[in-house]
Amino acid sequence: MNDRNRELKPFVEAPDDDMIICRCEEITKGEIRRAVHDGMFTLTEIRRYLRTGMGLCQGQTCTKLVKSIVARELGVKPNALGSATGRAPMRPIEMQILAKDKGE
Amino acid sequence: MKHYDMIIVGAGPAGLSAAIEAAKRGMKVVVYDENAKPGGQLFKQIHKFFGSREHYAKIRGFQIGEKLLAEASELGVEVVLDAIVIGIFPEKEVTVKIGEHVTHAKGDTILIATGASENMVTFPGWTLPGVIGAGAAQTMMNLHGVLPGHRVLMLGTGNVGLVVSFQLMQAGCEVVALADAAPRVGGYGVHASKVARCGVPFYLSHTIVSAEGEDHVTGVTIGQVDANWQIIEGSEKHFDVDTICLAVGLSPMSKLCDMAGCDMEDNPAKAGFVPVVDEYGETSVSGIYAAGDVSGIEEASSAMIEGRIAGIAAAVKLGYLSEAEGTAEIEKQKAALGGLRQGMFAPGMRGKQITETEEGIAISQNLLQYGFVSDEEVERFPGVTHSSGIHPVMECTQNIPCNPCQDACKNHCIKIGSHITSLPSVDPEAKCTGCGMCVAACSGQAIFLVREDCGDGTAEITLPYEFLPLPQKGEKGTALSRKGEAVCEAEVVGVRTAKVFDHTNLLTMKVPKEYAMKARFFRKGEPV
Amino acid sequence: MRIQEHPILGTYEKGKTVSFTFDGKQLEGCAGEPIAMALKNAGVMVHRYTKKEHKPRGIFCAIGRCTDCVMVVNGKPNVRTCITPLEAGMEVRTQYGVSAGKEGNAV
Repeated sequence: MNDRNRELKPFVEAPDDDMIICRCEEITKGEIRRAVHDGMFTLTEIRRYLRTGMGLCQGQTCTKLVKSIVARELGVKPNALGSATGRAPMRPIEMQILAKDKGE
Repeated sequence: MKHYDMIIVGAGPAGLSAAIEAAKRGMKVVVYDENAKPGGQLFKQIHKFFGSREHYAKIRGFQIGEKLLAEASELGVEVVLDAIVIGIFPEKEVTVKIGEHVTHAKGDTILIATGASENMVTFPGWTLPGVIGAGAAQTMMNLHGVLPGHRVLMLGTGNVGLVVSFQLMQAGCEVVALADAAPRVGGYGVHASKVARCGVPFYLSHTIVSAEGEDHVTGVTIGQVDANWQIIEGSEKHFDVDTICLAVGLSPMSKLCDMAGCDMEDNPAKAGFVPVVDEYGETSVSGIYAAGDVSGIEEASSAMIEGRIAGIAAAVKLGYLSEAEGTAEIEKQKAALGGLRQGMFAPGMRGKQITETEEGIAISQNLLQYGFVSDEEVERFPGVTHSSGIHPVMECTQNIPCNPCQDACKNHCIKIGSHITSLPSVDPEAKCTGCGMCVAACSGQAIFLVREDCGDGTAEITLPYEFLPLPQKGEKGTALSRKGEAVCEAEVVGVRTAKVFDHTNLLTMKVPKEYAMKARFFRKGEPV
Repeated sequence: MRIQEHPILGTYEKGKTVSFTFDGKQLEGCAGEPIAMALKNAGVMVHRYTKKEHKPRGIFCAIGRCTDCVMVVNGKPNVRTCITPLEAGMEVRTQYGVSAGKEGNAV
């Protein structure tokens, strides 16, 4: 996925570009498609660039949807994309709770 | 930092089963679950499970959940609820948020049994209140006793979509239609048939065009899709609904495995991104196991066995069980798992189109397209025979791993044999007494008792009935066909309820004898 | 609407009836059930309006995963009402963006 010389077909607007994909951060299909054309080829990059999957639900609803959109845009199979890095905390957690963690 | 022999993430069927096996061997086990109640999705499953006795067949999901919980608690398993595992770190250190605190625990082994999450599809209006996941519908009606809606459209004809549609009707909702973009019903035919005979239309090769409504759903439009999944113009159908239920598959919730450093693979046969596991469920990280949907989407029945295998394997690893004993027990579990992984719906069959049964009988195409077996097709299956007295008619037409009907009949009228996926057949020599045990035992509600000719121009059909209010003896109503269409007037001549039937009531209706093989359901109210 | 009697589950064990407020209006629910269930039973469909597009959202997953049902409960925003037990006297408010104020300001 890190081949930055990958040739993409020119970006063409689609009628469903305004469809919300990431429900939490309200990111649309068009924004995700554009991000790919802006050079964001991996799910981790897309996530940092657009905040898809970084809202309250932490990508529990949209991960698979985002993946299929990016894959189609890149012209690859979704399973070629792997997944975005998984790291703690796995669920949204208030800062004050993390701050109280004394490692016990 | 607390220390355990085994830390289990997820108190669903896989996690609890593993905990039971590990604790049985003397291991100190903790199970963390982020929910307020244990059991995972088991407590929302109110239908009878498939399989054989060793798989808890013909027991309803929530009762299996109760059994597992009781067993775990007897063995002293510590189940911590509202406990969110937020990370797994090197040396098997786990951080858990419990209440307002983060605590750390270390396990000599870890089992990740986090289950699955629901897939979603997008369409204009999919974020409107009233569009819900099928799991949400189950949670509302089966756990909390609240109706998800009054008129519901279900998207998805996999087992979840079919089972939840039936449950919606049991709760008192009207299901206006089932739609699926796929050209064929994805779930068990018997689940489809029990929905279809209630009169719910199936729209295969159809998907949602849009959900309508300002602040919440007031309607939905579906349309037929072409080979490229595009809506065919002019095929749109509108339904007034207040709820749209989405049941479009599950994905393994495997992020924790990824984070724990397990080798992962994106495997379509397992329905997503899963840890690579060996035959014991052990991942590439020694001592970290995965079991249940997190390592590949299957039924709860197989999740329980995978959990048991992981629990036993962990006991061997830590020396609580000798290798010889462990191997013997694991082999037993594997055989049980092997039994479940047979037939037309086995994980290895995903995506394959099946045209005939193991017996060489052509599959009912009507079932795959419309959710019910046609009157003509049903005759070619071995469970459907004709005789002068009362006899079972088993409309079981697909090879699924299930055999309670065979054990249910004390007179050995029903034969499946040792091959669990074989279609049931009727032994013409054996004498049916009309006890109805087979009707109640069939998890697919596919067995009927039929007396084709009562001698007075009528026939009697006994069918499974799991709705309220229960019709009364003497009550007149309408007999419905397999498609759910009114075919004739019917009179209830008997209603049997018994503890052993476990809420599957046996309703016997009298119809003109020409409808003996056509009428399959009873609708209350004025005869049409 | 509540299911009075279920053909398989019979009757449901519910907590005692308690009062709470939704946007200042008095409603009743069962103690201990998720706030979202009490609201659903009272016919409330919209739990919040989104930050960017101001679109209505309600119950979606009902198990605390999707966070679409978050509301302002006792002054605290982003409370997942589908898994937060109802208590007597709770103040539940529609959430606008990430706060209880219509213009995105706290109230």
